[in-house]
Amino acid sequence: MAKKSIFILAACLLLAQQDSPTAQFNTQGITPPAGSNPSPAKMTFFVTSIGMGKGGDLGGLAGADAHCQALAAAVGAGSHTWHAYLSTQARPGQPAINARDRIGTGPWFNWSFAQLGAPQNAVISANLAELHGDTLVQAQRGSNLFKQSTRNEHGQLINGVGDTPPIQHEILTGSKWDGRAYDDNADHTCNNWTSSTIGSAQVGHSDRIGNGSSWNSSNATKGCSQAALESTGGAGLFYCFAIN
Amino acid sequence: MVSGTVMLACSLLFAQVQRPGEYPRGVKPSPMMNFFVTSEPIGDGGNLGGLAGADAHCQTLAAAVGAGNRTWHAYLSTQARPGKPAVNARDRIGTGPWYNFKGEMIAQDLAHLHGDTMELAHQGNNLNKLTGLTEKGQIVPGLYDYSDPRDNDWSYAKNTRFSTRHEMLTGTRTDGTAFTDAQDHTCDNWTSNASPASGRDGDLNASDGRLNAQIGFPDRNGGGSGSWNSAHGTRGCAQEDLPKTHGIGLFYCFATN
Repeated sequence: MAKKSIFILAACLLLAQQDSPTAQFNTQGITPPAGSNPSPAKMTFFVTSIGMGKGGDLGGLAGADAHCQALAAAVGAGSHTWHAYLSTQARPGQPAINARDRIGTGPWFNWSFAQLGAPQNAVISANLAELHGDTLVQAQRGSNLFKQSTRNEHGQLINGVGDTPPIQHEILTGSKWDGRAYDDNADHTCNNWTSSTIGSAQVGHSDRIGNGSSWNSSNATKGCSQAALESTGGAGLFYCFAIN
Repeated sequence: MVSGTVMLACSLLFAQVQRPGEYPRGVKPSPMMNFFVTSEPIGDGGNLGGLAGADAHCQTLAAAVGAGNRTWHAYLSTQARPGKPAVNARDRIGTGPWYNFKGEMIAQDLAHLHGDTMELAHQGNNLNKLTGLTEKGQIVPGLYDYSDPRDNDWSYAKNTRFSTRHEMLTGTRTDGTAFTDAQDHTCDNWTSNASPASGRDGDLNASDGRLNAQIGFPDRNGGGSGSWNSAHGTRGCAQEDLPKTHGIGLFYCFATN
């Protein structure tokens, strides 16, 4: 049986090779811009490499911000002040908070190394208007977040549609496409990021694939548990931006 | 029997692995296919023989994969000339919905395709790296797929289908209409293969007046926005100019019926 499996695998590899490009993932062509000195310390944007493990319960905005800060510090980018890109909805005595109002003014840079072959700090977006598509033309052009630029704090890509599972492209935002909080009565924020059971969170797609191509507001999760997030291609990851 | 088993096992093992540029094995285009990216350029840079030449290229490629029963148009605009009004790409492609090689919906209608309202523009259409397929079912190689410095060299790119080639000629603004300024954005309405004078190749917005073509990305990766139809211009209109920014002169084809 084992022998047969090996045979099949070998045959598969042979078949696959018949149609393979000669140069795979040759990274020679990509070098940092002249005069730049890329480093993780210059990173001002990343997707969390891991969630907080409790679904939509992030310990509120404070807990999510602390997660961003801790992950950044672990890779030498802790000198910035980091905020999670998350909105919260209005409650009695508590006004709503818009994700877009929490992240400074840009421009924001990522950090990439692993799959580019050379270190880079690539521009994610120049300002809030480009990031959110504030004008119709900006919105039609699209946000400046691409699958290849939307990386975690280690510079790694986020598994998206078509990649090897688990797919983790559903990124928690709790936001409308303009980066603002919802003002209806439905839950879009797992009860302002405190619920790991009932409720729902609005998510965007880091690879911009699925129900259109929005990075910050494409669909709602089925629930707020970790399992519910994972059932639709999420992992409870979120975007972190440095405000300084 | 054995080879059948092997093929089955392979198809299961590699079900999710179709790398950019590769042909899907033993799969024909969906009968619903009324959208594709050309698998090959015409090969003379921005000179496509005008809209008629580009439409004929779409039709020929479609016919070669059994989809010649439809009427195919290239998604290209032309700019106004004395006595000739502009032609808008969005007015040439029917009303949708459009489906790709696999029968996946690219967009419901013209408004969805172009994002005519703020809501639609933010939602975006369904064109992406995995759906922006050629008439042969290939994913179009984009940035970092097999990064190679020779990707910028036509003499290399023309001999492989794996070089980065994700810039689609459109000559179009984000809303699918023709440019109205004095600059060229259509390689002189798809009749020019001119290369700019040396030293005039720095600005991708063509403010220096050179002939060039506006392009977009089916994989939504690059150009500062990932726009599918209007990201930036090219270095020039010669075939050799196009690979300098990772295009080879491919374009979108839509069936109007």
